[in-house]
Amino acid sequence: MVNMIILAVVFVIGAFIFQVTLSGFSRKVVARIQKRRGPTVFQNFYDIGKLLFKESSISHGFIFDFGIWMALGSTIATLLFMPVGGWALMPKYANIIVIIYLLAVGSLGMAMSAVGSGNPLASIGVSRALTQMFAYELPFVVIAVLIIYLAKSSNILKIIEYQTQNGWNLFSMPIGALVAYISLMGMLGKKPFDTPIAPAEIASGPLVEYSGKYLGFLMIQHEFATFIEVGLFVHLFMGSTSIIGFLIKYIIVYISAVMISSVMARLKIDEVVKFYWRWPLGLAILQAIITLGVRF
Amino acid sequence: MSMSTVSLMEKIKNIIRGHSLWMLHYCTGCGAMELPPTMTARFDMERLGFAPMATPRQADILLVTGYLSVKTLRRLIYTYEQMQDPKWVVGFGSCTINGGIYYDSYATIKRLDLYLPVDLYIAGCMPRPEAVINGFKKLMDMIKSGEANGWKKYKENLEWYRANQRKILGDSLYVTR
Amino acid sequence: MKEQELIDLIEKHVKYEEGSIEVYAPRKLKFILKKDDLVDTLLFLKRNGFVQLSFITCVDWIKDNKFELVYGLVSWEHKLTVLVKTFIDRDNPKMISIMDIWPTAKYYEQEINEFFGVYFEGNPNMSKELILENWDSMPPLRKDFDPQSYSNEKFEIRIYDYKMEDKKKK
Repeated sequence: MVNMIILAVVFVIGAFIFQVTLSGFSRKVVARIQKRRGPTVFQNFYDIGKLLFKESSISHGFIFDFGIWMALGSTIATLLFMPVGGWALMPKYANIIVIIYLLAVGSLGMAMSAVGSGNPLASIGVSRALTQMFAYELPFVVIAVLIIYLAKSSNILKIIEYQTQNGWNLFSMPIGALVAYISLMGMLGKKPFDTPIAPAEIASGPLVEYSGKYLGFLMIQHEFATFIEVGLFVHLFMGSTSIIGFLIKYIIVYISAVMISSVMARLKIDEVVKFYWRWPLGLAILQAIITLGVRF
Repeated sequence: MSMSTVSLMEKIKNIIRGHSLWMLHYCTGCGAMELPPTMTARFDMERLGFAPMATPRQADILLVTGYLSVKTLRRLIYTYEQMQDPKWVVGFGSCTINGGIYYDSYATIKRLDLYLPVDLYIAGCMPRPEAVINGFKKLMDMIKSGEANGWKKYKENLEWYRANQRKILGDSLYVTR
Repeated sequence: MKEQELIDLIEKHVKYEEGSIEVYAPRKLKFILKKDDLVDTLLFLKRNGFVQLSFITCVDWIKDNKFELVYGLVSWEHKLTVLVKTFIDRDNPKMISIMDIWPTAKYYEQEINEFFGVYFEGNPNMSKELILENWDSMPPLRKDFDPQSYSNEKFEIRIYDYKMEDKKKK
């Protein structure tokens, strides 16, 4: 038991350091694309550290505080179910359904907290974020169910095992991988799907009233959520049992998403929903028909 | 505050703060025109850790770009007080120093440091992006050495600042319009 | 209707105070009216195609002791611009509001009231502040207002102590 707690702490800290360094590196990549020099790789550590060291941070009541703890806590809890390569902290419970459900709790906590701040821009941002969640989850879940059906298990470790025997899902169902990748862009809130946090139009949306420590915690939550979402994509489509392999694939997927996002423009929220429910959803159903047709 | 009296923890905090400064994207005057080249590829402000932020709650630096009319000053004071400690004010352009070319205007203030605690002035009309970057670099050094503590001064001398603000804005400073 | 026909129509119906209608640039007309005829004329012009009130402005002729009010109208139908001018007394400047013809006039009139002190009868915003907050002197765009002395009185100037600097250097 003590062993497991130590492992969990090491895992969480390791994931944090890895993801924060990588997002610092991604800022460098974006800067290079825009012919800039870019900040240091450790810039995000400085940012989070600075926010946590702020002398004052204003609170807007109990719901505001509670929502942040709910978001951060549930995201860290989700992270503990997340396998890395072939290793998982709790192998029995490394389940897609658990992860998708728990991840939604984080978003809801953040939504609750943002609405609790009473700022109208935050409410607009939250309504956009939840609408976007509806939009991208439907195609993603269709593909996830298809993979669960193929692997005959919703356990991610079983899905990885299935892929080591039958080849990567990325190659056996490329359309599905594309759909999941577009959904991933929406989950990460990268352009063109950064409608909820549109700094130029609604002043960073849900984050508008957060300051100091609160914003720092939300940034940490965002890094963990990114780790889970990108990790889930890697496991579902490029599963392999080695941890190093996982990290390399993770870096490729994340940096490519950042590169695509750095040359895109933002969509409006109605365009986001129309896009997701027309193309990715249609392609997901097409993929399901093709895959099931080949099998029978 | 000299270096010897600052504790080790305070030093570490100051170094971290000096590396990550978020600037409120609030433009009062024509000086804002020099910010796009400062931010984008030519001069690239982000490599020093500066980033524009959309709301005062998230920002650390209030960059007052250019002249301030009385009407804007009221909003600027509200904005400054919404920012969280530690926070810094940078006066940009000669308008904030002595009125600049608006020295005889009936609507613009001439000295910003009477109303808000200015940590650093960047002189010029307009200051070129090189001067802006140089000013930011200087501000980073001041923060790292603990010299830039305008926010503490504002708390200590609140009555004095309030008296100056009242003189211009009247008693209606806290009446929402 | 062509440009010339419209000009003829205006000439037939409008009573000028002095001179006549003047075409000062291609497709740009101006004429001067008596104060009392203004509202009727504006109404007439609006019915004949000048649907847009582009601006209202005021000029201070301090030697003649008069304010000149200028109403800029645009007709998209005829592609014409017209400036309707009128002179009012500077000592007791009063004018009838044209809010009923163009509701947007509310804010133009409020601004003129703030900067020149012209009172527009019928405008509910006359006592409200639009741009100048806590204004405590005469309207600032009148020619007899001295911005330099007002500014020096109200806003503190930075005094540079050159002697101190010199001493420090020595």
